Amino acid sequence: MDASQIIFFLSAALILVSALFVVTARNLVHAALWLIATLFGVAVLYVLLEAGFLAVVQVVVYIGAIAILFIFAVMLTRRDLLSQSSQTNANWPVALGVSALSLAAIAFIARGFGFSLDRPLAPVPTDSLERLGQALVSPQQFVLPFEVASVLLVAALVGAVYVAMNKK
Amino acid sequence: MSLNILAVLPEILILVVGILVLVLDPFWKKDEQRRVNLGWLTAGGLTVALVLSLLLDRPADPALAWGGMVRFDWLAFVFKMFILFAAAITALFFMDVERLGKRAEAYLLLLAATIGMCLMVSSSDLVMLFLAIETTSIPMYVLAGFMLDDKKSTEAGFKYLLFGAMTSAIFLYGLSLVYGFSGTTQLENMRSYFLSLNPISVGVLFLLVVGLGFKISLAPFHFWAPDTYEGAPTPVAGILSTASKAAGLAVLIRLFITAFPQVESNWQVILAVLAALSMTIGNLVALAQKNIKRLLAYSSIAHAGYALVGVVAGTRFGIEAVVYYLIAYVLTNLAAFGIVAAFGRVAGSDDIRAYDGLSRRSPYLALAMLVAFLSLAGMPPFGGFIAKVLVFAAAVEAGWYWLVIVGIINSVVGVYYYLTVMKYVYLYRMEGENEEAHPIPVTRPYAIAIVVLTIGIILTGTLFAPWFGLSTDAALSLFF
Amino acid sequence: MIPLSWYLYLSAALFAIGLYGVLARKNAIAILLGIELMLNAANINLVAFWRYTDPAQMAGQVFAIIVFAVAAAEVAVGLSLVISIYRARKTVIADELDLMKW
Repeated sequence: MDASQIIFFLSAALILVSALFVVTARNLVHAALWLIATLFGVAVLYVLLEAGFLAVVQVVVYIGAIAILFIFAVMLTRRDLLSQSSQTNANWPVALGVSALSLAAIAFIARGFGFSLDRPLAPVPTDSLERLGQALVSPQQFVLPFEVASVLLVAALVGAVYVAMNKK
Repeated sequence: MSLNILAVLPEILILVVGILVLVLDPFWKKDEQRRVNLGWLTAGGLTVALVLSLLLDRPADPALAWGGMVRFDWLAFVFKMFILFAAAITALFFMDVERLGKRAEAYLLLLAATIGMCLMVSSSDLVMLFLAIETTSIPMYVLAGFMLDDKKSTEAGFKYLLFGAMTSAIFLYGLSLVYGFSGTTQLENMRSYFLSLNPISVGVLFLLVVGLGFKISLAPFHFWAPDTYEGAPTPVAGILSTASKAAGLAVLIRLFITAFPQVESNWQVILAVLAALSMTIGNLVALAQKNIKRLLAYSSIAHAGYALVGVVAGTRFGIEAVVYYLIAYVLTNLAAFGIVAAFGRVAGSDDIRAYDGLSRRSPYLALAMLVAFLSLAGMPPFGGFIAKVLVFAAAVEAGWYWLVIVGIINSVVGVYYYLTVMKYVYLYRMEGENEEAHPIPVTRPYAIAIVVLTIGIILTGTLFAPWFGLSTDAALSLFF
Repeated sequence: MIPLSWYLYLSAALFAIGLYGVLARKNAIAILLGIELMLNAANINLVAFWRYTDPAQMAGQVFAIIVFAVAAAEVAVGLSLVISIYRARKTVIADELDLMKW
């Protein structure tokens, strides 16, 4: 077992354990904090996969913005937080069954495919960040989604501001 | 793969209208002035975009553009024109709805969603496809919950958001597997990777069908639709049930015919079961509804099922039939929701019983409603009739007899509840009231929109050739 | 060396945990947390597939970045809707929002 495998197992354990806490913690502030741990574990995986830029984006956007937004939202809707009642609904056994089933199905699919690629085909090019930047703005590649994403973000911004600032 | 401005011309024009809305809105200080100006600006701008696109933007041979992000073909063109049309009509409907009409945000979100829908029908790359679907959905979540002081509306937006976000996550997971197994995000390069009946393709297809089934509101992924339609502002429910659904079906057609032609027998069976379920559940539950918007919601679930019958057939004729079906359906259902909105804003109720004596309160509105509902029921000489005949014929031709039998039984059930509503409109009287004392005034934007739609319904039912020509061009562009 | 299948199993497990959270939780914010887990699972897939198939083609990473943008938009809109519904109804428990029958 080499070093990368050990790192993989550690971060996988971090991801799965904290994800379990995210979906089971009674106190939602705790759940949101566990989400940060999960997201951090995913960032480590990106580093292992040699996608350094994505790891940074994961930390800055996901942990820095999205997870913090969650914590704000939990704080602003505090009343339900204090209730000591169960945080799961009556259907939770069904939910457990469905997710176990989907895990089995997806793992089966992955097994049928995953072993065909045991090792990466090629090394990551040294200029991969440059390539990523070019791919995002090149008209021969992904400039259209890049621009449309800005439309989506403006629309989401306008929508969120409208909904949150409800003046009577 | 060229840099083809024409391939995204409608989107650019919509964007220009959106920027105008954003920039001009602060200059209109009074509510009344803003309502009128914003509404006509949006509706007019979309109409200009529609006309310009019709004149300049006819595609020649199908071609990929913008690095393969979008495919410039007749399928996309036909759908885009009807999406633009539906959005322009919806902007007219917005104008006289309290709160919705005087807020620039509403029009802006409508335009953003329209850009999303236009890209949905043309995208031929997984990245573009996912983004287009989200660009449609996220503004729609806000629009469904736009009436912030109305508890039903916020609840509608909220439920739509929760269901939508969950199914789009499932859909994304399916897309990630598709990308992994084929090693490409381009739909056209995928066809050689999904070769035969195997568990991998079945599993992936299942994930994708969950995501798209939600957008099209197919049973059993329809739970959000009745609540969202009931609570959302009526014009929003109208565009959700027409343009957004048509765009979802266009994605389904393109994705499955382009990327998975080799595994046809797989997805045909999955879709056939979903079509039968949707038709049956939609029609049976509609029988018990007391709220007209819920009734239309269940009816739209059933209609998604009918349209899917043509996709199941999977032949060129089948796709032609689906396109025709969607053209007729978009016109008809928009009219139905527009009439409900025009009635609801005066009468203040969406109860079916509130429609008692409508034929005396507003004979023209009642007549338009009769046309729309008969078309929904699939009666000649309206668009819904020819559309239904075509999809069933395509399914028979492809050998799906049991599905057609289910569909025909369901159509009969459908006729029953559509006519029940018309019974209230035409035969019942308002209790102890003189109907003439309670007229339903229809404002100018509504009058224009409803007249245009009614003419459209009649034209799709009587003048067969031009519409079928469009459908044929659209279907042809997919089979090459 | 880490085989691709390990990443796929991990992402499948994360996806299933997220799905459980979405289906079983009562609180709307908790449901959105579950959705974030599912999106991250998909992103692990995308990046892993990018690395193990052809890292010279950036499609997988671009896809992941688009997912970041979409997730941010979704969360902003989602949480603002949650807060507005909390203002109106003083609850964010999905089961209690039942003015209309599900």
